[in-house]
Amino acid sequence: MKLMNLTLGAVLLSGTAMSAQAEEMHFIMCGGEVRPADQAVIEEFEADHEGVTVNLEAVPWGTCQDKSLTLAAAGDPPSIAYMGSRTLSQLAKNDMIVEARIDPEAPYQPGVLNTVTIEGVQWGYPHAFSTKALYLNCDVIEESGQDCVAPATWDEMYAMAETVVENTDSAGVGLAGKDFDNTMHQFLNYLYSNGGTVIDSDTGENMLDSQQTREALEFYGRLASVSQEGPTAWERDQLTELFNDGQIAMYVAGPDRLNQHNDDINQLVAPVPAGPSGESGSILITDSIVVFKGSGHEDLAHDLAQRITSGDSQYDLDSSWGLTPILDYEALGMEDPYYTQGDVWPVFVGGIAKGGPEPLVEDFKSLQSVFTNMIQGILLEDDTVDNLVTIAGEELDDAL
Amino acid sequence: MADTVVATPQDTAKPRRKAVSEKVFGWLLVGPAMLFIAVIVAWPLAETIRLSFMEAGLGGEEYVGLANYQDLVESRKFHQTIVRTFYWMFLSVALKLILGLIGAALLNAAVPGRALFRVLVMPPWIIPMAIGMIGWLWLYNGYFGVLSGTMMKLGITDGPFEFLAYKQSAFYSAVVADVWVGTPMVTLFFLAAMQGVSRDLYEAAWVDGASRWYRFRRITIPQIMPVIVSMSLLSAIFTFNSFEIIWILTEGGPRGATTTLIVDTYKTAISNFKFGEGSARAVIIVILLGIFSILYLQVLKLVNRKYGTK
Repeated sequence: MKLMNLTLGAVLLSGTAMSAQAEEMHFIMCGGEVRPADQAVIEEFEADHEGVTVNLEAVPWGTCQDKSLTLAAAGDPPSIAYMGSRTLSQLAKNDMIVEARIDPEAPYQPGVLNTVTIEGVQWGYPHAFSTKALYLNCDVIEESGQDCVAPATWDEMYAMAETVVENTDSAGVGLAGKDFDNTMHQFLNYLYSNGGTVIDSDTGENMLDSQQTREALEFYGRLASVSQEGPTAWERDQLTELFNDGQIAMYVAGPDRLNQHNDDINQLVAPVPAGPSGESGSILITDSIVVFKGSGHEDLAHDLAQRITSGDSQYDLDSSWGLTPILDYEALGMEDPYYTQGDVWPVFVGGIAKGGPEPLVEDFKSLQSVFTNMIQGILLEDDTVDNLVTIAGEELDDAL
Repeated sequence: MADTVVATPQDTAKPRRKAVSEKVFGWLLVGPAMLFIAVIVAWPLAETIRLSFMEAGLGGEEYVGLANYQDLVESRKFHQTIVRTFYWMFLSVALKLILGLIGAALLNAAVPGRALFRVLVMPPWIIPMAIGMIGWLWLYNGYFGVLSGTMMKLGITDGPFEFLAYKQSAFYSAVVADVWVGTPMVTLFFLAAMQGVSRDLYEAAWVDGASRWYRFRRITIPQIMPVIVSMSLLSAIFTFNSFEIIWILTEGGPRGATTTLIVDTYKTAISNFKFGEGSARAVIIVILLGIFSILYLQVLKLVNRKYGTK
């Protein structure tokens, strides 16, 4: 009997010891899928850390950020998450995440670290980067009797779209207007191509209520007359289906769409056309890996984040997924990286220097509402451009 | 003079002990239910009321008194949301009741295959709402949806029409989807009530030469009136609080055209993490529904009195 008790005790003790060693990390991956390049790093990480398991949870963008924030607010934060960098301000100011430990020598592209830096502190590891450009379906454009030449200005773009509408069954342009974050992103491409800004990066001042915004909003409204039916029901990613189906002649999107478009489409990629008050520009968006506070695995999470965002791993992701290069891989000694090849990549890489940031504010949902309200207002012809921009400026003041 | 009986201590003690134990026993019986209600209803309600006086967010909370309520009272958008919510509720409930009544009358008729029709009514109610709404999303799609395609083929429209892209069409499209989900339940309740109406009444009316319509109007409707009123109340509460349908179809857009009080509350409290402001909205919903329920119960009492039911 004594022997049996001793054995039982030993088994229980060894079980306790094992459970003390075993650690489960919760990794929330926004976007609804785990990309093979990330999966490979995670598997290697698990192999190097005996007893550590990374429980990956892929959540679609629409609900992912809410989920991570809610878990953290409820005191059950994930260990690590891949999220839009626009959430960093809210997370940091509410003490939910810890500072990132980014290698100061890492050769990030210009502007990338700004998207994760708040008051001089870096809060996320930038992991996916995109600039935007105008995709043209040359089959549709040529069918309308035009040469497939990239429009350089808004007027040229509108004229091309109008001709498509007049001479084919397709819409001239794909426009996003749904209650979704990329409606704001789409609009910012036009705003930044017209010399506009949202928030002054030096003073933090609200700059939305401006002539440049008025011009951009007026143009967005004009585009609605040559766009697909009912843009307020569409978000940007859904436009890809219409592009593949030949239902729209052009739309603005990031380089990841290169892998999403049908191979048989004769497409042209061009910089976003310039507005009357500016030069071609693009929104610079990053998504980041963030380490949550209070999970009990902060050091492990930093290790994993650093591995995932390190040169080789990051290159695998960028090249396989078709992302704008987040690092200057040539500076890391890589020869002929993917973005130096072909005619398309220079357009996206060229957008880096001319891009504007996604505004970093604490209440990013309110910021999004300000923009969607203004954009839907013009798409539904609810109010004048002047009133909509004035109201948006006031609402942004409240949100800041 | 009545005979006096002297009770012995034993005689008096027995009934008293029995009374006390019955009282305790009663409390023991209702105790679990009371505890359940306290945990599931009372505590969250009290917490919501407390939070409504706070500016509460991810970073903590601070007492702000009636500021959240004052903001709502002064907000034109919120007033519009209240009006929209009641319009949504009355329109949707009215359609459910009318369609439910027609459906129940048809299912109650002695026609071949009646059992099959009764089963076929159920799917909108049975299938998960999210799946049903994804189906409606496809139906309403201008480019790939059946409705728009049919309208184009029939020459009603000369191009695709996005039902969810415009304020009015989005609102009425959401109402149609809500009616699709809610009608089967109403139909089945009405059908059950109709089956309880005595056949003698119909036979007597038939002998007197009453038409079908007359019998329906003067016998069926009065006989099932208490059920109609009860279902109206239940359906009104369900519709008022209907969230998934609107959220999946439009998320309250475009430009707030389908934002009802419950969607507004969710957006404020959960999407924007403004727990205090969201709680104030929730409290107002409770108050509005409370008033509405009291009025309805008064109507129900009048109806029961008029039609002689209890």
